[in-house]
Parts: sequence; C-alpha cells; structure tokens
Amino acid sequence: MTACVETLLASFTAPIQIDTTAASMLWLLPLVAAIAVVYKATKVSKIHPWPFIKESSVLFGSIMVFIVVAALVLYLLAWIITEQLPRILGQLVF
Amino acid sequence: MTQSWKENHALSLIIVGLLAWLVPGGGHLLLNERRRAAVIFVAILLTFLIGLYAGSIGVIDPVGAKPWYAAQVMNSPAVVLLGRWSTTGDYPVYGRPSEIGQIYTSIAGLLNLLCIVNAIYLAHLRGVERAGD
Repeated sequence: MTACVETLLASFTAPIQIDTTAASMLWLLPLVAAIAVVYKATKVSKIHPWPFIKESSVLFGSIMVFIVVAALVLYLLAWIITEQLPRILGQLVF
Repeated sequence: MTQSWKENHALSLIIVGLLAWLVPGGGHLLLNERRRAAVIFVAILLTFLIGLYAGSIGVIDPVGAKPWYAAQVMNSPAVVLLGRWSTTGDYPVYGRPSEIGQIYTSIAGLLNLLCIVNAIYLAHLRGVERAGD
C-alpha cells in the first residue's frame, strides 16, 4: 500500500516525455472537454445526466470546430505571406 | 432591507467564495447544489492533476512564472504549498511538458475562478429571494 502511494506521488515529481510533434496537439482534447463540462455546469439550471452530457458534447464540438477553422485560416495566411507574396512582389520588381 | 441583513448577506457571500476557493465545488455544495459541486470538483481536480502529471510540480513556479502562478493559485490555497516545494529547485521542467503542465494547471485555476464567481452569484440571488419573501 505504501509503495503504491509512493509510486503515485513520485509520478508528480518528474515530467513525462512529450515530443514536439503533431501528435502532441492531442493534449488539447482533455482540456477542451474540461472547459466544456465546467462551463456548462455553471450555466444549466439543473444538472440531469443525459441533457448535461449532450450540451457539454455540443459545446466541445463547437470549440473544436472553431479551433480547426482558426488553424486553417492561420495556415492559409502564413502560406500566402511566406509562399505567394514574395513571388508576386518578385514579379513586380523584375 | 436592514443594515444587519446586508452585513449577514455580505458575510455569507464571503464564506461561499472562500469555500469555493478552498475546495473546487465547495461553494456550490454549501448552496446544496450537490451534482453541480461534484461535476466541478471532478473536472477541475482532473485537469489540475493532468497538468501536474505532465509537467510535475515544477510547473508551479511562483518566482519564474508569476502570471501562470496567479492563475494556478485560483485552484486552491494548497497550490501555495506546492509552490513552496517547487522553489527548492528539485523539480526542474522544460520544453513541451512545462508548457502543457502550465496550461492545464492555469486553465484549471481560471475555471475554478469562474465557479467561485458563479457560486457567489447564486448565493446572492438566493439571499435576495429569501429577503423578498
């Protein structure tokens, strides 16, 4: 029992290995779920399991869709500024 | 509304706010909102623990990351104790684990701040309703 508790506490004293890869973006999902659940817990008048899960899921989905759209817009903007704009400016100069 | 009612009302709001800060969901529990309190407690505690698991208690840094620490303290006064442990320098954390740990623990704190404000608002509404009866 003591060894189990020590192991549990020790897991909070050293960071885990997280590489800087595209997969590390998946860490976003539990955070968005927590935000959706807590926000809905403060907003609904009464908490009944199924309507609450449904409303939290809808909010979770809405946040994810917004994040994906924002990421696509930013990617497009970066692509235009770094790839297309220099080519257009180059044609105008020469 | 009398002066004593206002004083009692203000005191009850302060107690609800303090309890909500002491334990996530504690303010709602005091208002007999058990389900709401349970959901808030589990969600905020899990978010905070995931942050600590990812980045260790080193992500609570009252010296080098003050803005993050201000948000983390909103979780509970117990975070101050964790901050004292981490300032010993025995828990260094850098890179992506540090970022993810700080984001998780700070967002958990800000979510608890939302719950503290919500609990105080609910207590205020109920106090006004009772006074109106």
